[in-house]
Amino acid sequence: MKKSFLIMTLVSPLLIVLFYGIIFYFSFNKDLGEDKKLVLVNDATGIFQNQLEAENNISFQYKNLNEEASLEMLKNAEIFGVLNIKKEGEQIQYNLIANEQPGLSTLNGIESKLEKVLKAKKMQDKGIDASLLKEINDISVQISTQKSTDKGLEKSNSGVTTIIGFVGAFLIYFFIFLYGVQVMKGVIEEKTNRIVEVIISSVKPFQLMMGKIVGIAMVGFTQFTIWVVLVAALSGPVSSLVMKMAHVDPSSIAQTTQMSGMPTDELAKTPVKSNASMAILSGLNQLNIPMLLGLFVFYFIGGYLFYGALFAAVGSAVDNETDTQQFMMPITLPLIFSIAISQSIINTPNSDLAIWLSMIPFSSPVIMMVRLPFGVPTSEIIASMACMVLGFIGTVWLAGRIYRIGILTFGKKPSYKDLAKWLFRKS
Amino acid sequence: MIIQIENLYKSYQTHVALKDINLNIQKGSIFGLLGPNGAGKTSLIRILTHITEADSGQILFNGEKLSPNHIYQMGYLPEERGLYKKMTVKDQLLYFAELKGLSNSRAKEKLKYWVDKFDIKSWLDKKVEELSKGMQQKIQFIATVVHEPKLIILDEPFSGFDPINAQILVDEILILKEQGASIIFSTHRMDSVELLCDHIALINKSEKILDGAVNEIRQQFKKNHFEIKYEGTPLINDHNINIVSHKENELVQTDIITSKQFQSNNELIKQLMQYPISLNAFTEKLPTMEEIFIQAVNQKQQSHA
Repeated sequence: MKKSFLIMTLVSPLLIVLFYGIIFYFSFNKDLGEDKKLVLVNDATGIFQNQLEAENNISFQYKNLNEEASLEMLKNAEIFGVLNIKKEGEQIQYNLIANEQPGLSTLNGIESKLEKVLKAKKMQDKGIDASLLKEINDISVQISTQKSTDKGLEKSNSGVTTIIGFVGAFLIYFFIFLYGVQVMKGVIEEKTNRIVEVIISSVKPFQLMMGKIVGIAMVGFTQFTIWVVLVAALSGPVSSLVMKMAHVDPSSIAQTTQMSGMPTDELAKTPVKSNASMAILSGLNQLNIPMLLGLFVFYFIGGYLFYGALFAAVGSAVDNETDTQQFMMPITLPLIFSIAISQSIINTPNSDLAIWLSMIPFSSPVIMMVRLPFGVPTSEIIASMACMVLGFIGTVWLAGRIYRIGILTFGKKPSYKDLAKWLFRKS
Repeated sequence: MIIQIENLYKSYQTHVALKDINLNIQKGSIFGLLGPNGAGKTSLIRILTHITEADSGQILFNGEKLSPNHIYQMGYLPEERGLYKKMTVKDQLLYFAELKGLSNSRAKEKLKYWVDKFDIKSWLDKKVEELSKGMQQKIQFIATVVHEPKLIILDEPFSGFDPINAQILVDEILILKEQGASIIFSTHRMDSVELLCDHIALINKSEKILDGAVNEIRQQFKKNHFEIKYEGTPLINDHNINIVSHKENELVQTDIITSKQFQSNNELIKQLMQYPISLNAFTEKLPTMEEIFIQAVNQKQQSHA
């Protein structure tokens, strides 16, 4: 066995866990990714004086400056920009001068703060008192969802199903690509090395092709199993480490809310973390894990065979890897399309589009993974599986026809027309 | 007969590769399949090795109709050599041996035989890409013969071999022949096999133009040219002999001559004795395979015209 293979097998799960650890770390500590920004407010109207809320990464200072002075101030590296506010007739003009083009989120943040001040002022002008205003602002609605099934009502958790669906879809996408390209490279190696002539004199081209596809599937499955076990074993310690590093405990949340000037007592009382993890656990309990896993394995194998055969056909048709480009396009496009569209499928898992895409074998492995955690009628699952089986029988047949000619054809780079001819040529 | 080919035709989309080929290859002989590049040699071999199929015609292997099972009794060294570069020599040889139907234990046994023979024990755990080209050629040769095939097909076997390794290859081929294997040599370098082959067939432009035992063919095409070396006055054309070419260095003259009324070699030597020369050497000059090929091609073209 190759050393690099062994190392990849063992190191990859570590990388995956680390990768997600880092993503979580940054999503909990958003301000890590951004610099602190100090904005000077040059307010000629006086409306906003000492009214703008400071946030994690944006804070405000109030100064009266003329244009020259503000440009002078900008030379100071600590100052992000100068916000000039003045009245022109009934309209208030806002103008931000900065050394760099401000990001969209920064701009939106400042705008929303200005709006908030204006709204509060308006309400006060109309005689709504501050405590009422606070009550209005604190109104929050959370919908708990239940799914009506044959067995009665089931609790459900859209967050968990979304994550499970997306992770499953992404894994399938990733593995089809990874192992499909391996099949193609293997075929090209055998072809360019001319080993194929010796082997084809002993086995039929179809057997050789299937051997390649099935062999790499076995390798993939072994690798995958090792990864799942290692990721499961590693994710516990790593996630607790990340939690620790990110200070995701109630006190830190209280701290941040205090900084933003919101009332702390109520938020601090809410046991945010335990609540969330309870919800995740109960969400997981609602899912039919064995069926999900079983179907994952089915679509993993089905999708791999479907695409692996096409990759093998591409490998057989060309003489070297650089020539694969034009044939790779039509294979990779549907795969990339399905992973891209899966984000909108998650929002509407039972739309017509979602149903059709989960039937077509080009996209069904990825799309079905997205839909499954939300619950898919058995009849649709069976239909999709049948399409998948027919699909890979079809591509394997197609690939076999191209492979048997392509693998012994050297020199000229074939066109799509040539491939079509090969399909129907007698051996 | 190990191979009998009757009325074999094969054509591809744009050209005819083989036209009405008839050949017999005797058991235990070395058979040379000669012809220029693109003559159809490789097409014929690919049909024998079941890589492609003929359009029509019949092939018998050992008296039976050629079938995929016969592949296990053949060893094929293709013109374009190739091994798995990242695989170790040992894994590779075992893989090929088992692919040709040997059991794992039998494959290991045979591998040991060849390892001892070529003294390559230290190579076994190396990857092929770490070996020199000559070493790779040896590995490929072992892969071709490791399953003791009855028929060994070598396509341009000497290309890429240095003289020393080429000689090793020749020796091994002769040993395999002694052990009863039949060997087909395919090459466009006709001089390289004329000493080795018992029988040959010449193929040109998808047609067989000549076949038979090497000695018979050379006799058939000889022009009664004789090379003589002598000292004394240079010979000139007369009623007995014709001088085809003449060379001389300080002492020895070398002529190629023909006899005008040839009866036998002895008779010619007798005639030469009558000239005022002292004869050093007398050799019957047989045509080379290349000369025969050119002559045969010309004859064929004239008969077509």
